[in-house]
Amino acid sequence: MYRPVILWLLLCGSVAAHDMTPTYPKWKMSFIPSANMTTMQIFNKRADVEWYQIGVFDKEWNSIPFVTRYKILNIKHLQRVKFDVYVNKTNAELVEYICSTSKLRGNDNFKPIVESRICSRFK
Amino acid sequence: MRKSALLLSLILGVTSAYAGTNINGNVESRCTVNTDTAGYYGNPNAYTLTTLPASAGQVPLVRIDTSLANAYKAQISYPTSFSSSPSLGDTVVWTGTVAVDQTSSSDMSGYQAASTTANGGAMRIYPLTIAGATWFSIASVATYGGGQQKAFPGGSYTAVVVAECIAQ
Repeated sequence: MYRPVILWLLLCGSVAAHDMTPTYPKWKMSFIPSANMTTMQIFNKRADVEWYQIGVFDKEWNSIPFVTRYKILNIKHLQRVKFDVYVNKTNAELVEYICSTSKLRGNDNFKPIVESRICSRFK
Repeated sequence: MRKSALLLSLILGVTSAYAGTNINGNVESRCTVNTDTAGYYGNPNAYTLTTLPASAGQVPLVRIDTSLANAYKAQISYPTSFSSSPSLGDTVVWTGTVAVDQTSSSDMSGYQAASTTANGGAMRIYPLTIAGATWFSIASVATYGGGQQKAFPGGSYTAVVVAECIAQ
């Protein structure tokens, strides 16, 4: 009975987290006739990161050309950012994953740092 | 007067029936990568950097939360190179382990046994078959000199642990 509450507390109480939604995006018509678009959202709860790189890949993890406002987004701590991803209609059929990857800066001596990456999937 | 009041109440009744709206929504899965403990390297001798606590290091802990079962897999990798370091003329040998440290539910106790490896064992892949939180510990050891135990050059060293959540 308490498990959903504990899970909710864990999800809400994260102090250094990165998440991206939706898990399963869908292509929509765009104002550019030859391109499809989808809207993604990143929430940055990592105080040590403020840049996230966007990538679009096929099922073999080959990069697919895409357009978005910035390929590396500046997202301040505790900020939620929505962004549109445009892919031409031919390539849209090949897209399997849209990923966001934290961009890390150097830190003090002898510290391993954690790069977080979240990938949503077209089904 | 009573007639018009009755008419008005009827109109308002009809209006309020039309003003009602449905609130629709979908419960979507969500994956969150949390950096719970940053970790750091201890330097027990000239040629070793290690996150093991016995050598004054700290093992990084990453927590992955999923809100729905079977929506994501976690891919956790220990470092296999430095992202920044002084110039290194000799070979660095990397070893490490990725392990499930804790879970929010005892149902997840099979995660480590069900995991597979990739990238020569540096990456461990965990299908997240149960909603909840999983803590992963990532131990890392770097030894300089290609087995010849040469001293690391002095300076700052940074290595990167990669924690991924991939939609299935």
